[in-house]
Amino acid sequence: MKEILIKSNIWVGALALAIALPIFVVGSAWLLPGTDLWSHFAQTLLPELVSSTLILLIGVGIGVSVLGTVLAYLVVMVDFPGRAWLEWALFLPFAIPAYVLAFVYLGVFDYSGYVQVWLREYLGIPGFDIRSGHWAIILTFVLVFYPYVYMMARASFKRQKIQMIEAGKMLGAKPLRVFWRISVPLARPAIAAGLLVTLMETLADFGVVSLFNYSTFTTAIYSAWGDFRSIEVAAQLASLLVVVSFFLIYFERKARGKAKYYSSDVSNIKAYYAKGLTGWLIFLFVFGVFMLSFAMPLLQILIWSVEVFTLEWSDRYFDYFASSGILTISATALIVVIATILALPSRRKSESKTLQLLIRFSTLGYALPGSVMAVGLLYGVQNISLISIYFAGSSINHILFGSVALLLFAYVSRFMAIAYNSTSASSEQIKPVYGQSAKLLGASRLRLIQKVYLPMMMPGILAGGLLVAVDVMKELPATYLLRPFGWDTLAIRVFELSSEGLYERAAIPALIMVVFGAIIMLIFNKLDSEKY
Amino acid sequence: MNTKRLSVISLALSTVLMGSVTQIQAASGDDITVYSSRKEHLIQPLFEQFTKQTGIEVNYLTGSGGDLIERLKLEGSNTPADMFMTVDAGDLWYAGTQNIFQSVNTETIKSNIPSYLRDPKGLWTGLSVRARTIVYSKERVNPSQLSTYSNLASSNWNKKLCLRTSKKIYTKSLVASIIHNQGEEKASQVISGWVNNLAAVPNAKDSHVMNAIIAGQCDVGLVNTYYYGQLIEKTPDAPVKLFWANQETTGVHVNVSGAGVTKHASNPSGATQLLEWLSSAEAQAIYGSLNKEYPANQNIDSDEIVSSWGSFTQDKMNLSIAGILQADAVKLMQRLGYK
Repeated sequence: MKEILIKSNIWVGALALAIALPIFVVGSAWLLPGTDLWSHFAQTLLPELVSSTLILLIGVGIGVSVLGTVLAYLVVMVDFPGRAWLEWALFLPFAIPAYVLAFVYLGVFDYSGYVQVWLREYLGIPGFDIRSGHWAIILTFVLVFYPYVYMMARASFKRQKIQMIEAGKMLGAKPLRVFWRISVPLARPAIAAGLLVTLMETLADFGVVSLFNYSTFTTAIYSAWGDFRSIEVAAQLASLLVVVSFFLIYFERKARGKAKYYSSDVSNIKAYYAKGLTGWLIFLFVFGVFMLSFAMPLLQILIWSVEVFTLEWSDRYFDYFASSGILTISATALIVVIATILALPSRRKSESKTLQLLIRFSTLGYALPGSVMAVGLLYGVQNISLISIYFAGSSINHILFGSVALLLFAYVSRFMAIAYNSTSASSEQIKPVYGQSAKLLGASRLRLIQKVYLPMMMPGILAGGLLVAVDVMKELPATYLLRPFGWDTLAIRVFELSSEGLYERAAIPALIMVVFGAIIMLIFNKLDSEKY
Repeated sequence: MNTKRLSVISLALSTVLMGSVTQIQAASGDDITVYSSRKEHLIQPLFEQFTKQTGIEVNYLTGSGGDLIERLKLEGSNTPADMFMTVDAGDLWYAGTQNIFQSVNTETIKSNIPSYLRDPKGLWTGLSVRARTIVYSKERVNPSQLSTYSNLASSNWNKKLCLRTSKKIYTKSLVASIIHNQGEEKASQVISGWVNNLAAVPNAKDSHVMNAIIAGQCDVGLVNTYYYGQLIEKTPDAPVKLFWANQETTGVHVNVSGAGVTKHASNPSGATQLLEWLSSAEAQAIYGSLNKEYPANQNIDSDEIVSSWGSFTQDKMNLSIAGILQADAVKLMQRLGYK
């Protein structure tokens, strides 16, 4: 038994190591000789982009935490008009790719967009450049990423121990005080988990920042590569992102602490009833967020799609759709299975610091810009190929390059964090007593996993899977670089048309993606509500 | 039970997919495979027409120019690509230096495409010409105020200029040409003048530059003419107009989109045939009507809308120079804060 455990630990370790391969390839760029590009960047881009990246992270971090938490609290704890449908509708913005939201917002709200045209013509308000300064891009990121925090915080509020809240109420605490002093502190680990994912995604973003022409770390990465064709410096810069993420994860763990606040039981907390005007004001606020983050952008791309439908639609769309679908389903299945294996409860696993660290490494890919990860993979393959040339006399580049396998590998490395966050959260709730009693009853580990762990982890597995599915469908840079012939996806079509400024035509593939993303989110919500 | 079935299904699915990967695109002997940074909607109609005429199938894979060059380098002699097609002279030049093209010097190409639009060694051939020039507001600007790219740096245009981001390759090539024509010192005065005159953060797209001018955020800008063509096709009465820059001096800066046959092409004769056909009058007309670009083949006329903008003198600087000076151009722009 002991040997089997050790052996399985080695396998899990090897798996985590393989997933982290692109990270190591990117990190190994530091072994290459330095160039004078660094001093050029240090004198030009770096000072500004360090500060603007920080401002962006802080702004987006505060924004998603506040908005996500407040929304979650309102839908769980307060009874207001429209609460039932808004509770699930608030998930929907997940379905909109960030770059699509960015070009819709620029089209609607920038100087030449109709909101400002109207403001100038009817109210005489002078026009302004929403891309200068920080607030517009921060707001965009907040509206696209708040669902991460909302989702986690909502689940946590639903599980909070009813006695504590009731005790607070009995002691005469006002609703706001209960929120600040009891609910939020209890939900802190969940909020931190949502925040972590948001910050990693913001760090790795390229689409939104380039549409706003805002400088972040990825600006320097793309400059090193696109302008100076130095993959080494691009990889060196990208590895700094990984380091930052590593610290973010560390702080998140720390924020979570040793405590496990939530019980696994769902409590039936009686919601505050918001009557009259208060209720409607709350409705207006929540509805406003939904409008701005989902309904309005959806309407805009719908209008654009109708305008150019005959011009843009062709049979090719069946191919795009099939590619997106097959890649999404297969990548999701693969990622979920691996994330489950990595997260299965095991005493040895929690005792082995090395294994913990390896698993952490395997989730860092989320902080890498997709194209850097893709190039990392190409170079990884190249190195393996060199070994193969040495021993077998032939290169394997041509077998792996442009293969679905390599692309799936990239997805696994890139999105492991999302799935693992979810599967590990559900496995951490499994009390050790289950494993111990199963052992006392003489059950094998396999049987224990099958009969106890998997069913208990199922909500987390499904939730992770659905989130990953939406993310894979939206993924652009790695797919663009690594896809095989004939595997053009909807996201690629959106990019190719929008990069030529043809937003109306790009709206059609975007619309298909949003509809499918929305369907996935609704399935997610259905499963999620069955849990309670 | 349910969970078990789910994991079995997903495992089976992944295995099938992993198995299918090894069948890499085994192009049959006659097919041609193209890597292209020219977008799908702009190449597919061309290839379709070629296939209709010759019966030869063309497979293509689009991507960003830099990515595809990297992929070609790593694939080496095993590359499935017979042709590499891209949209900037700098990229073409760089691809040439990375040893991924073979030279093609057929008489057809030589007679169709003038020499300044081709690589001196025949590594690549320009297939369409893209002019980058001044666009201005008909309502607020008198064209007599306009003259050169450098003139947009003068204080007359303070808070009236919109530019596309320095990250875009068309900006880099234009600035490279200014460095070449006027020297680095003058070029740096021009760039800092531009930056001072900006009415807004540099835009992500040429179309945004024109929208900003129409909305009154700025009065002048620089764009590739085919984006103006797209705009005019959609809104014929848009209050913006093109002005041909540098007509008294070096001429309008032009860039090319072009292609070359790859060094390790498995079907070099097919790829050459395709390249020749792309340089022919018929294909060149499709380039013009599809995307309002100028033909590289000087024997045919431009598209109707395109010719309505009038003729102009081109900057005949050899386009390799744009490639050679691009890194200097980027350094200059980054130093002077042109985002």
